[in-house]
Amino acid sequence: MIGNDLVDLRQAAIESNWRRKGYLVKVCTPEEQELVLEASKPDEMLWLIWTMKEAACKIIQRKTGIRRYEPINFCCGSLNINKKNSSGIVSYFKDSFLMRSELSDTFIHSVAVSALKDFQHLHLQYLRPEPDYRTAFNRLSEFYQLAGTPSGIPELTHQITGQKHAVSVSHHGDYLAVIYSDSLLLAD
Amino acid sequence: MDREVIISAIKEVAAPYTQDKQALDEISETTSFITDLKINSANLVDIVLDLEEKFGIEIDNDSMAKMLDVKSTLDVIEAKLAEK
Repeated sequence: MIGNDLVDLRQAAIESNWRRKGYLVKVCTPEEQELVLEASKPDEMLWLIWTMKEAACKIIQRKTGIRRYEPINFCCGSLNINKKNSSGIVSYFKDSFLMRSELSDTFIHSVAVSALKDFQHLHLQYLRPEPDYRTAFNRLSEFYQLAGTPSGIPELTHQITGQKHAVSVSHHGDYLAVIYSDSLLLAD
Repeated sequence: MDREVIISAIKEVAAPYTQDKQALDEISETTSFITDLKINSANLVDIVLDLEEKFGIEIDNDSMAKMLDVKSTLDVIEAKLAEK
């Protein structure tokens, strides 16, 4: 399974005051709090950690079918941050996920997978965040058709095989990202 | 405390975090913060913190995990008020 999450940094600066009393301790483990507070760019660090947690959470939600709001139980570790990207691990009780993130000046986008090989056939498509983004995706895609279930879960069908592939969509502010896999199916 | 009173308090707390004023006006126990009110998940923490302040309660992580819709939020607030 795959999951992604995106934060528009400009939008986040308007919407969220994570420095308010009590916020960080509800969201971050003590180790993560330290990473944020000691970072040269604390906002970027917080939103990197946040997107990692949310991307992994999407996998858990699809697996269990249960929605819970427990960012603190998704623990980020082994963070390796470069200028424009980072990697790491998110663990949730007995499960753990491998993470890769893109760090731009204006947004942060994180991708979670269950196994390293799952990164191999993964594609990323950025689109304009418009209501008909699925139409735009389908125009660009040669083989896939993107649709949504009534409950809003994205569904990606290969036009020739008819198989449903693993897909995840995240939208925030000015950005929208679709990730999907050639090799992983919906149930994988 | 009356459930209607708590719902209107939840409505007041949620108001600054939603752009969907119509959905907010139609708030009921079945309203979901994320799906119906289109509240950003990072702002759910703000709602939890605002409710803590408003009711003078402390919401633990396990209770927060359930607070995705109005009904569960009501239940958590009622339970925490009863503990006081």
